[in-house]
Amino acid sequence: MDIRLKGTNKTALFLLALALTVMGWTGRSYRAMHEPDVVVPAPGYTEHRLSEWFDGIAGTPADTAVYIQDSGISGGTVFVMGGTHPNEPAASMAAVLLLERARVATGRLIVVPFANMMAFSHNSPQEGHPRKMHFTLSDGSIRDFRYGSRATNPIYQWPAPDIYIHHPSGQQLAGSESSNLNRAHPGLPEGNLTRRLAYALLEMIRKEKVDLAFDLHEASPEYPVVNAIVAHERSMELAAMVTMELEAQGIPMRLEPSPANLRGLTHREWGDNSDVMPILMETGNPSQGRFRGRTDERLVLTGEDRFYAKASELGRLFIPYVKDQPIDLRVARHVTAVMSFMEMLGFVKPEAEIVVDGVPGFEEILGKGVGAFLTPLSHRSLQ
Amino acid sequence: MTFIYRGIALFVLAFVLRCMLREKDFWKQVTATMVIVPLAMRILLIK
Repeated sequence: MDIRLKGTNKTALFLLALALTVMGWTGRSYRAMHEPDVVVPAPGYTEHRLSEWFDGIAGTPADTAVYIQDSGISGGTVFVMGGTHPNEPAASMAAVLLLERARVATGRLIVVPFANMMAFSHNSPQEGHPRKMHFTLSDGSIRDFRYGSRATNPIYQWPAPDIYIHHPSGQQLAGSESSNLNRAHPGLPEGNLTRRLAYALLEMIRKEKVDLAFDLHEASPEYPVVNAIVAHERSMELAAMVTMELEAQGIPMRLEPSPANLRGLTHREWGDNSDVMPILMETGNPSQGRFRGRTDERLVLTGEDRFYAKASELGRLFIPYVKDQPIDLRVARHVTAVMSFMEMLGFVKPEAEIVVDGVPGFEEILGKGVGAFLTPLSHRSLQ
Repeated sequence: MTFIYRGIALFVLAFVLRCMLREKDFWKQVTATMVIVPLAMRILLIK
């Protein structure tokens, strides 16, 4: 069918007005993604900015909140980071849960729940991911958190080079990896914002003399490194102890050594460039996998997908998957593993003992759900 | 670097607007509208 309509200045102006309306409507939605998620730190935490350790990110969208709880009793310093990849929501939610629940009795706990704020402000194109996920709390109120992208928002760092050359190794990767925080470590003080962010994180680890550092992630259920701990050589003994402990509790966990030639990742670069024991952990997230069907908030929260169920039947997955993989389970795995690491840290490094209370156990999180352990926003002014 | 590419996007946007106003075929004007939306949103650092 060929419908010929004459174009005039009037039609052009009409279409321009239409374009402005579309921009206003969608732009509002995009801008809403720039609003930071609200957290309610447990009593005892002090809030800082990452730029306090490296002013090269001060006043930039790379700067992020750092929460420190110091018991005042000498011991170890543990750093928990979520949100390297905001499309892996159990990672940031596990850090938020520790932030809102932990009571540090010995040593210090540092929490960065949203490491790459620049990646929280948009979704990955063509993935169909939701903008937000909602949790119902014990008082019936609802809190929401953003579901972002793996990469830094291109409005801050654009365009990507054809080839990304990692500093200082010279390793060559696809250009899009220049926006991936977990290929940017140890960072570069004069680099792009993602590299400067990586540098700031390492500066904090060095200056605060962190003993044990976690970078929490999620992975596709069909990816081999999932339900796994990836450990640097320095962390391996501790990671082996924790893996055995978790297996004994009925929590299946793989233990993977950090490959020496795969550069730019926390489990390699933090260990090689500081005295910290770095740990990266992965849980299985169907909403970021390639086999998934309908992609929406329900999939993010429940992990329920018939295509993954079929893939599991065919033995194609690296996680035990029957019909779902809820975020409660994924957060419970991360939180339980972090707590187990902290409990055992004193065995391998007695001077770095840390005691943390108030954090719910695996069965509790699984049974009551993550929302039950988030603090209602109405309690913010009381703390 | 981002300023250079915003400048390029602004340059392209100006040409698309010029073409749109001179175009005599309505459907080609519609096509130009669809190009304008993402270009303008990138220039304004919205998306």
